Amino acid sequence: MLPLSDLLIWSFAGVLFGSLISWIPGFHIYNIIALLVAVFGVGELMPVQAFPFFAVGAIVAYAYVSAISSVYFSVADESAVFLLFPTQRYLLLGRGHEAVLLYLIGAVAGTLILVLGMLFVFPKVLPPIYQATSPYITYFLVAIVLFMFMSEWPKEGDRGKTVKERLWLAWRQILGGIFVFFLSGILGFIVTNTNILPATSAYTRLTPMFIGFFGMSWVILNILSNPPMLPQKPEDKVESSIYNTLKASFGGALGGTIAAVYPIITGGMGAMVAGHMTSQRGDDAFIISQGVNRVLYYVGAFSLLFLPNLRLTRGAGAWLVSSLYTPKSYSEYIAAIGVILLASGISFLFTYGLSRLIARSFNVMHIKKVSYFVAAVLVVISYLLTGWMGVVVLFVSTAIGLMAAAFNTRRSYCLGGLILPVLLSMTGHTEVFMHLLGLG
Amino acid sequence: MRGFTHYISGLAAATFFPALVADIRMGTLAAVIAAASAYFPDFVDFKFGKFFARRDYEIDPAPWDEKKHYAPKLVKIKDLSEKNRYQFFAIEGRVEEILTKGSGTMSYEVFDEKGNVKTVTEEYNTIVFILNDGTGKITVEAFGDDYKIFEEEFGQIEEGKEMLVFGYVDVDPDGSLRFVVSDAPHPQGIADIIAEAIEKAYEEGEKIVKIHNIRLPGDVYRQFWIHLDPPKREVRVEMGPIVTPGGVAIGGEPPEYRKYGIARVNVPFIKTYPKPTRIDSFSGPEIAFRLTKHQGKTVVKDRFLPWHHGFSHSMTMGVIIGAVVFLLAKLFGYSHATDLALASMIGQWLHVFEDQLGFMGSNLFPPITKDVIPGFKLGESGSGLTNFSTAWLMIALMIWNFNRFTDPRPIPISDARLLLYLIWPSIIGFGIAIVRSIRLRKELAKLMDYYTNLEAFEELEEVGGI
Repeated sequence: MLPLSDLLIWSFAGVLFGSLISWIPGFHIYNIIALLVAVFGVGELMPVQAFPFFAVGAIVAYAYVSAISSVYFSVADESAVFLLFPTQRYLLLGRGHEAVLLYLIGAVAGTLILVLGMLFVFPKVLPPIYQATSPYITYFLVAIVLFMFMSEWPKEGDRGKTVKERLWLAWRQILGGIFVFFLSGILGFIVTNTNILPATSAYTRLTPMFIGFFGMSWVILNILSNPPMLPQKPEDKVESSIYNTLKASFGGALGGTIAAVYPIITGGMGAMVAGHMTSQRGDDAFIISQGVNRVLYYVGAFSLLFLPNLRLTRGAGAWLVSSLYTPKSYSEYIAAIGVILLASGISFLFTYGLSRLIARSFNVMHIKKVSYFVAAVLVVISYLLTGWMGVVVLFVSTAIGLMAAAFNTRRSYCLGGLILPVLLSMTGHTEVFMHLLGLG
Repeated sequence: MRGFTHYISGLAAATFFPALVADIRMGTLAAVIAAASAYFPDFVDFKFGKFFARRDYEIDPAPWDEKKHYAPKLVKIKDLSEKNRYQFFAIEGRVEEILTKGSGTMSYEVFDEKGNVKTVTEEYNTIVFILNDGTGKITVEAFGDDYKIFEEEFGQIEEGKEMLVFGYVDVDPDGSLRFVVSDAPHPQGIADIIAEAIEKAYEEGEKIVKIHNIRLPGDVYRQFWIHLDPPKREVRVEMGPIVTPGGVAIGGEPPEYRKYGIARVNVPFIKTYPKPTRIDSFSGPEIAFRLTKHQGKTVVKDRFLPWHHGFSHSMTMGVIIGAVVFLLAKLFGYSHATDLALASMIGQWLHVFEDQLGFMGSNLFPPITKDVIPGFKLGESGSGLTNFSTAWLMIALMIWNFNRFTDPRPIPISDARLLLYLIWPSIIGFGIAIVRSIRLRKELAKLMDYYTNLEAFEELEEVGGI
């Protein structure tokens, strides 16, 4: 293992790096780490054994600091799909800082749950449970996707004048969601199974697609909707209750853990399942639970890489890191827990300070100008990682992401881009689908 | 119970069949049909049944603007009539004549927490003017707290000024229309229609009322409550604050003088659920009022969401689902069709049983049974405690079954011990729910006894022969 001083330095560098980029709308820590590896490489500037700790620091920072872009700039990834609308409302009421504080309460609760879990529960409980259930992952995955379709709540239809009109208003939204899922799935299938993107982009071939689904589409919406830049209250005050906080923390931890342990099940899907299981209600509870969920989903999933008697590789960050170095000892596992605590403390302070600063000066620069800049940067990232075809994929996936908004349906249907190709592969239908699309 | 709780019960039901578990392990995922069957009753009700349901009365306190899909709707004065009394609209027009501007004293009634009335008298400012939108003229009035907001918004009102004004429609004693400046509809309209529906149900057997919610710009909702008060023979509607879809109040409480609407009901009725009906985000509810016998007396009884928990939530439907799944599975040549059909039927039955734990109950064996059998009242459908306890139990059963049907067992301990390790959170959860339920049932029994011995019931018995 690395000497403690080196470990601390690289972890701190990770937190700093994560904090500096995670508040920018549309940026995802996995994309940026991939870009870092692609451009600078690892092993020259940074020892490979330090890379997992650098990544832990950066991912913890992302789990905390990305609340800023979710709240103030309306951009987050799919795992925050339920977070977007409550926080947008808080922002419109001038309570953006309060939304960030609620999120931070959740993130701190999530960190404590994760650390306690890593110390006392995960090493004993996770391996047998995982071993008993892992052969049935396809069953759970198909079940969750089917439930997503079946449980879509029709937002319109009540006011139709005739039965036919009511049914159409309700079902056009449901059918729109299914359409978005399959369209995303076809794009994901093409990106995964053809050589449309260069072979050198093996670890980042899905990046432009996800930037389009969840980043660029929101940036475009920001530009089109031209939201008002309302004054924000920077006071440190939240309206919630201890009961709501505890209930939300429990639900968030449940959803985050499911998403962290089982592959392909994302934070958003985990949140949906846990939200139903614990019957959550209330915007404050939603935002708190998202803070818990995202810490467990991102940091928890990555931490599984350190667990010596399980060593699961979950999430793009873990795959990227494990391709260079996989931690092997319990001392590295314990060190990772320490880094999580340290990084959480720094990220908390950074997020809190940044939120106060933004709340005070929210209307200095209009979000529309920021969005133009971010859109350009996202195109550049996609080009650097995957070339011109990556930019084409970015544009197509952005259009699909915008379609989800136009149909007023769940944005998480865009996960079809990941789920459909994986399901086809798991069930041995990749070749059949290739023929169906005329690709093989 | 919530949708996912039912769904996961179906997932768990399938894992009790070793052949289906073996199929899942081999990548044949037909067992997921059992989960879909378990969710089927709610899917049918909320995606189809709801839209086919009859509506005898449709209450829309604040009709949506057709383009924006929220209230208030921008209307032309010529399109307004007495039918729109108390509804919330917007009118754009020109001030033609200022009739009065001054101050006075007004008295109005407010209710305390127990529903007792007290009269409040206060000073107020007012302005009354004629607004012309090119299609007609209407008298606009702003007074009390609404006058203050009106003055802040428009400043000095002068003749010839163009303005967009929000408010509810009222009708003067002489039948002419008046537009009262406000930020919400008046609750009296809702109370009046519900009271009328109860009285009509008493005469004709059943009336179904659809109540729409009040959606405002910015995806926020004006919350309101409907209190059915059988002892006082009253329907009270209380207008509440503006809330987010997550139920968080963000201010906008209506002033006391237009916060309550109260309507007298001239027939006996009872309320089966001990809480007022709250309406805010998502969609508004349907309530059926049905003539029924209650302890030998004829009364009108309420039934929340009458299209829900009908045939789709019966054991009979479970048998039909099992038969259809069996036939389809045979048609597709699935080798474990019987197991899958049984799992699907049990999944649907679990849904019915889980809902029976709540308040609403279901019509369990149609066509043998004709009406719902009351629920066990273990917890509300949205209760986090009962939902989690049930869902966790199902997860535990799945893990237990996966372990039992795998050789060698991934968790090498006895079945009984593993089950106990897994289900203890559910045992605790159900334990708490049962204790709470006992308390609640006692309260409800007291309430029902009280209804039965109401003087109001006896009085009507004498004059109306109930």
